[in-house]
Parts: sequence; C-alpha cells; structure tokens
Amino acid sequence: MPRIDSHLHVFAKVSPEFPREPTPVCPPEREETAEKLLVEMEKYDIDGAVLVQIGGTSLEQHRYLLHCLKTYPDRFLGIGLIPPDAPDATEHMAELADGTGVIGFRLSSIGGPRDIFEKPDIRTFQTYRIWEYAAERDYVLWLYPRAIDAHLLPHLVQAFPQVRIVLNHLGMCPGKGKFTWDELGRPRIEVTGYNLAMHTTYRLARFENVTVHISGHYAFSKEAYPYPDLAGWHRSLLNDFGPKRLMWATDFPWILAEPGYGELTTIVEKMLPDLSESELADIMGGNAKRFLRFPDRNS
Amino acid sequence: MIRPTPVQKAHWEEEGYLVFENAIQGEDLKRLQTAFDYWADACKAEWLDRVEAGEAAATFYDIPNPLEKHPVFIDIIDYPSYYGALMEFTDDDVILLGPQVRTVAPWPVSYTAWHPDVPQSSPLHIKVQIYVNDVPPRCGEFAYLPGSHKPDAGPYTRPLRQESMPGHKTFPGKAGTAIMFNSYGWHVSMDNHSDVPRKSIILIYEKRTPGRVSPTQFAAISEYCTTPARRQLFSLTA
Repeated sequence: MPRIDSHLHVFAKVSPEFPREPTPVCPPEREETAEKLLVEMEKYDIDGAVLVQIGGTSLEQHRYLLHCLKTYPDRFLGIGLIPPDAPDATEHMAELADGTGVIGFRLSSIGGPRDIFEKPDIRTFQTYRIWEYAAERDYVLWLYPRAIDAHLLPHLVQAFPQVRIVLNHLGMCPGKGKFTWDELGRPRIEVTGYNLAMHTTYRLARFENVTVHISGHYAFSKEAYPYPDLAGWHRSLLNDFGPKRLMWATDFPWILAEPGYGELTTIVEKMLPDLSESELADIMGGNAKRFLRFPDRNS
Repeated sequence: MIRPTPVQKAHWEEEGYLVFENAIQGEDLKRLQTAFDYWADACKAEWLDRVEAGEAAATFYDIPNPLEKHPVFIDIIDYPSYYGALMEFTDDDVILLGPQVRTVAPWPVSYTAWHPDVPQSSPLHIKVQIYVNDVPPRCGEFAYLPGSHKPDAGPYTRPLRQESMPGHKTFPGKAGTAIMFNSYGWHVSMDNHSDVPRKSIILIYEKRTPGRVSPTQFAAISEYCTTPARRQLFSLTA
C-alpha cells in the first residue's frame, strides 16, 4: 500500500519563471521546493503527495506547481486555485487541469446566503458553476470553507453526488478574524473548545463522496505534539467517516520546524491507536490512492 | 405539582423517557411562544455574527441567557405538569443546570448525531424538551433509544443516518408537548425535511451534588425565586 501525503505546499523563490505573491511568511527569497520535500518523503518512506497551490490564483502563479507535476508525474498530483474575480472560472479550470496533473481545485468561499434560515437556491451561489463544471470534468473539490459558509455545503454535495470532496484539516471551518501566523511561521486558527464542526461538516459523513484530511493539528491544538486535546475530534471523524474516508497529510512546509515531518508520519497511529494495520495503511495512503486516483510509482 | 403514576414510574425506569402531551397549553403556551419568537428574532443577528467568527454553530441557535430575558422562561423550569416527575426521579433533590431555548434551521441533515449526554458515572441527568411549535414527523422531531439509559445497555454504534438506529422511537408532537428523558440514553434530533424551523426548549436538570452549580450562576433572577423550593432548584441556597 503506498503512503501518500495528501495535502502540502511547495513554492520557489520569486522569479520571472515562477512568479508568486510574496507574503511576510513567504518572502520573495524563501523557497520550499519539491526537491526539499522529496528528501523528507524518501527519509520517511512516503511515496506520493498532493501539492496544493500557494502564492496566488492566476495561471502564471501556478507555474511552479505545474513544473513540479511535470517533473515528477509519478510522485505528485496537484490542486489549483481559482481567482475569485475570474470572468469564467471554467476556462481557468480547464486550462490548469489539461493533462497537467492538476486534479481539482481548492475553495474557501462558497458564496451563498449567510443565513441558514434563508431557503437556498444553489444555482445562485457564486461557486455553483465551479461545482457543476467539476461534476462535468470529474475534478476533485478541496474544501476549507469559512465558518459562515459551512451550512451551504450539504446542498451542493447533495446536488453533485459525483463530485469527489475532500474536507481539509480535520473538517474545520475557520472563523472570520481567527487566522494568524504563529511565532514559528505556521497558520494559527483560533477555535472554540467545543468542536462546532460536529454540527456542520461532520454531518456530511452520510454522503459517500466526502472525505476528510487528518492534518493541520498544529493550527487548532492548544497543546504540543501529539496534540492530545484533539483526540476526541479524531474519534468522531473515525466513527462518522470510517477508516476508508480519512486521508493523512502533513501540511508541509509549515510543520518542518515543529513538530517535524517525521513526527507527523506517526500522528495517525498516535491519535487513533486502535486502528488495525490495514485501516492505518488506508488512512496513510490507500484512501488517497483510490479516491484521488494516484498514479503508480515508477520505481 | 403532579407526581407520576405507578405506570409512568415503571415506564421511566424501563424505557428512560416520559411524554407529557399538552404539558403547556392555552394562555401559558401563547405567552411562551410570543416570548420565544420575540427573543429569537432579537438575538438572530448577533448569532449570525458569531457564526461568521467561528464562535457559534451555523445550524442552530440558542437565545442567550433566556432566564434573564423573560420570566416565562423561568416559569417553565418548575412547571407543574412535569415538575412532579422530575422531583420524584431525583428523590426531591433536583437542580437546574441550564435551559437551551433553541431554534433549529431546516437543513438537509440533522444538526446532530445520535449520542448520550453523560456517562453512567455522572449523577442522574434529565432533560425535558418542550416543543414550542408543532413538530410533525420528519420535521426535526426528538428521537430516543428506549432502554439505552440502563447501565448494562449497549454498546451502541452511532449510525450515519438517524433512522438507521435499531429500535429507536421518534416523538413528533404538538406545540406544548414535553418529553422528559434520562440523558444517559442515546437520543437525537431527526432530519427536518420541511422548510419550517424546529422551535423547542431543552431544560437540563441533574440530581443535586454539592457545589455542582455556583450560587452566582442564577443570581440575576433571584427576585423570581422567592420560595425555598425555587431557591433550591436554582442553587441559590448555599
């Protein structure tokens, strides 16, 4: 069974060849390359990874992602981003996913009514055409929804049962104003002690096209690795989604300094110690191989 | 205060729940519905802001501090139609932990999964759910797994679909119906296939244990708690 890191980011220094938006955490000179990632993957026996676009939404800003996918086609698949102001999102999607290894797109905004009591018409949602096109082209949708959008998801998931959905980072939905960067340069999301996702994203478990990432612990936990305060969340996810619909990921490179790539390769067995060997293997890569249709590794 | 009959007591012991149809009716029900609707509307905007900030669930909301908003929410805590049963089952030593004055939006799936509230190691924990509007079948009605409150019951597995829990019983009902249940038992809100929100009040009680509720918790409503029984119920006595 392959071991697949199902969500992480790589980026190059800013250059004409590989343009991207610099940020305080990712200044122009910083690079976290595919080659650096591959060193870690080799060290810990990880066969493949899903590279999730970072550094901008335009086609040009995806150049480094496309370069990595072309250079290592048997090691990586890609997830793209869509400009929020794209006049035709489908053109952008088609171009990015045209035989490149990009298998889907990440969304954080769904674009429907903020009030759950308003009867929704999904055709009026800003992302409706993206969902429809994903259904037509068999793209995966990679979701890290804002808290205010979480209630919109089941309407779309129900309408497009053929679209494969991956809920990022334990199915959490960050609240407005709750995102910061910590002193180690990692995303930090302030969450309530009581896991509100139990009443939104976890309720999507009955839809068989929905899977969840076991990742991003550092951003939510109030404790150090192995984040014991999140054990209950994992038990709920395992109970609701089962071992065939959970996918392990590290969220490289944010975790390199703390707790380290190697530590995160054992997080699943620490969080869910009662898993059987085959269940653990599924979460560590078997599910990603099947659900994302990962290519076989050449060597 | 109306004490439960021997049949009701036996049913409670065996099944873990009791239903009080028309527990609240007439003018009392109208007063409750009016206060509920007024305060639910008044508090909604703030709730949506809290949802956006990731501080509240998007699929239901509770009126904050309802006891301080309208005395009708205090009056239902020891309402005679079910309060006698509460006293009986707690050996006349019950305390209020809190009310949830809750509006649940229609949604493709229920906002919650099957669950018990507390382990058997906790003191006896009882909830009373009161329907404020009519709750027909398939409209978010309460459901309970009879007998699941017993120490030797289970183990149970949480099914993905509410209706897949073997042996469960659903409780559609008219406005004013009160369902009392032992919270050791597994329960849930069924899916709401209508476009009407479910309005209900969930009152949470427990058999008294020393220090469980601080005398300050309900101090803001002490003017409404003039009898020794009420002061005991709201833990206003040291």
